[in-house]
Amino acid sequence: MTERKTFKTAAFMKELMAKYYQEGKEARGKGIPVVWITAVAPVEIIYAAGLFPYYPENFGALAAARKVADKLSMVAEARGYAHDLCGYARCGIGDAYAEEHPVGEIVKPDLLFCCNTQCGSLSKWFEVASRFYHAPYFLLDAPQMGHEPDKLGEQYFIAQLKELISFLEEFTGRPFDYDRLKEVLRLSNEACRLWNEILDTAALKPAPFGFFDACFHMAPIVTWRGTEEAVTYYRALKEEVDARIKEGISAIPEERYKVYFDHIPLWPKLRWFSDFFAEHHALVAVSQYTHSWAYSFDIDRPLETLAENYTEEFVNRCFDYRVQLKINFMKKYNCDGFVLFSNRSCKPNAFGLYDKRNIISKLTGLPGAVFEADMSDLRFFSESQVRAQLEPFFEQLRSR
Amino acid sequence: MLKCLLKRKRTHYYLQKGENQLDKAGIIGLFEKVAENPDWQARQWKKEKGGKIIGFLLTDVPEELIHAAGFLPYGICGGRSRLDRANAHLQIWACSFVRSSLALALERKLDFLDGLIIPQTCDTTRMVFGIWQHASPLPFLQNFRLPRQVDRPSAREYLIGELARLKEQLEIYRGAKISTEELQNSIKLYNRNRSLLRKLYHIHEQNPASLSAKALYTLLKGSMLMPREKVNELLTELLKALEGETTPPGEYIRLIISGTLLEPFELLDYLEEGGGIVVGDDLQNGFRYIDGEVKEDVEPLEALADRQLNRLPFAGYDQARNPRRYFLSRMAVGKKAQGVIFLHLKYCEPENYDYYDNAQALEKAGIPTIRIETEFGTTSLGQIRTRVQAFLEMVGGVIND
Repeated sequence: MTERKTFKTAAFMKELMAKYYQEGKEARGKGIPVVWITAVAPVEIIYAAGLFPYYPENFGALAAARKVADKLSMVAEARGYAHDLCGYARCGIGDAYAEEHPVGEIVKPDLLFCCNTQCGSLSKWFEVASRFYHAPYFLLDAPQMGHEPDKLGEQYFIAQLKELISFLEEFTGRPFDYDRLKEVLRLSNEACRLWNEILDTAALKPAPFGFFDACFHMAPIVTWRGTEEAVTYYRALKEEVDARIKEGISAIPEERYKVYFDHIPLWPKLRWFSDFFAEHHALVAVSQYTHSWAYSFDIDRPLETLAENYTEEFVNRCFDYRVQLKINFMKKYNCDGFVLFSNRSCKPNAFGLYDKRNIISKLTGLPGAVFEADMSDLRFFSESQVRAQLEPFFEQLRSR
Repeated sequence: MLKCLLKRKRTHYYLQKGENQLDKAGIIGLFEKVAENPDWQARQWKKEKGGKIIGFLLTDVPEELIHAAGFLPYGICGGRSRLDRANAHLQIWACSFVRSSLALALERKLDFLDGLIIPQTCDTTRMVFGIWQHASPLPFLQNFRLPRQVDRPSAREYLIGELARLKEQLEIYRGAKISTEELQNSIKLYNRNRSLLRKLYHIHEQNPASLSAKALYTLLKGSMLMPREKVNELLTELLKALEGETTPPGEYIRLIISGTLLEPFELLDYLEEGGGIVVGDDLQNGFRYIDGEVKEDVEPLEALADRQLNRLPFAGYDQARNPRRYFLSRMAVGKKAQGVIFLHLKYCEPENYDYYDNAQALEKAGIPTIRIETEFGTTSLGQIRTRVQAFLEMVGGVIND
């Protein structure tokens, strides 16, 4: 195992996340409805409406990191949900039916709000959950954008944001507060700005902060985005990262190569992967995944800016756009190669990677590799297979 | 007299030599041949007319628009392609319908296509577009970005816009506008086709000895693979022939098939062997394909949008107004079905997410169900046969040999 210095803010994050879960548990008792929400969705509306946004994906990632995803998944599988569905969904559905809750019970929704920018798996899972918990469900539908975003899709998104606001007004019985929305957008902007400044430090050589650090520190940008908490947290983290730069503390010892990684990490093997890359003196510097939260809102046009930011997010973009985005990241972070994760339980991010590998190598001359596994379920992980799929890549890095 | 002659002439305009004398067996035989050789009629049409053929992945594509532009719409039905050809592009755990369709293209079995429209109904259809674009480029390649929520006003407004966008793309490719009259004529043609197929569907239910399930679904499949004018003429003739048939109705086990696509077709043989008939389905290449008219007295794009939004429930859409589980149990009770067969394509996520709740709703309604998982190209037929036989025995009692 490689020696690494832990971040001091790690303790702060644990505290912040404990507070988040505590607020989730207590929300209903305080008369604050719990809204299930997806990670790439305009949570700003939910915060502005005074509701508590709860991220079941986060629950899935937590179950995965604690290595119990298979246990929860099997409860869902016993009911006919296939083991190749999204790992987060299997954990969520499994937990609904499970008698034992190894990571604590998922917080039940009063309302479900899904934006399908990321995938169609989330919208189906939320549909299942809305039936299970007897809670109303709102789907914010995002048509896929091509290389250039189009007005038709954005107008549709804006029309739905208006429908959402009416729906929430009816649900809460009070008018929507647009001034509050502006404030939430401002806070989102600030947290996203800080988060991306932190991510950018991975371009330094050696870098103080890499992708695996980002995976560890990303929970607040997902869950607390739009609040003071997220801003305070990333301000503290930014300070610490800056201090590390001054002190010359790097993310991995003897960084020789920088690698681009696609997409979500294998949560139960986060440490294993981070050590595996470090052993080869490769810093995983960047992934489109952790850059998902890079919003920049124009506060004076709240609905338009939400539509632009969320529909133009890469998860909602076409093949060619994503190829270009990856190449841009590789250039910006001076990457020496790239590793693409064919994630069994995330079809939209996995499909197309075989061709993308060839296209990117052709366009950039960089070596690349694809490996197969599942982001949460260790039944689909073979250490020897992943080693065999990635060793030739490291060999290529060395011979460059 | 003259009118009659003219009509007759027009009627047989699209039929090949000898095809205007086909009887029932001949017409069904022709459709079987088309289903077996899915490119046969399309290639012939191209050779004769020199026109362009636009393929589509099943099935939520407005074929009327393609037809109105003067192109031949062609439904890619997957098939017996070498699935391994797709392995370099698409994971083996992707839907086998899409994999086998892509494999067909890679094997150059779709080289008569000038274009392709992929409806975005799931993550796989959403992502395969880019893969297709690089692996098997075509002069005309378009996504049809359907709304995934169908109940709120925004969905209709957006869909009309998306239809207009697709229409415009077809116009650019054609080099001329599609006139309202052209579109209205195409709508009429397709309405006629759907109405003919619904009548045939009804005949199978009423009198399965006259028209077997296999024959019925072969007519449906063949319709996607042939010029629709010709299909309509053949089906009209077939209906005439069937009207005269008066076979006594027997005892049959009434079944519903629920799933994405009917695959493999051999399933229908096994149903027939066991005395089963199909009284309803929600399959994309089944009743869902022929359900609902496009209103002919409404602005065409609005009318197309309205049909799309009101089609039978499908797992790819969030349907709050007509939830699928209740739709299925209502259909099962209404059709007096004795059992429901869930026919699921392996790795079809939307379908799988619906399954448990659908099965529960049917159990509550007292309808027995069975789930059969299939894959294009690799399904074990023997196993399906055994399971179907056992299910039919269970829901229908002992079968008389």
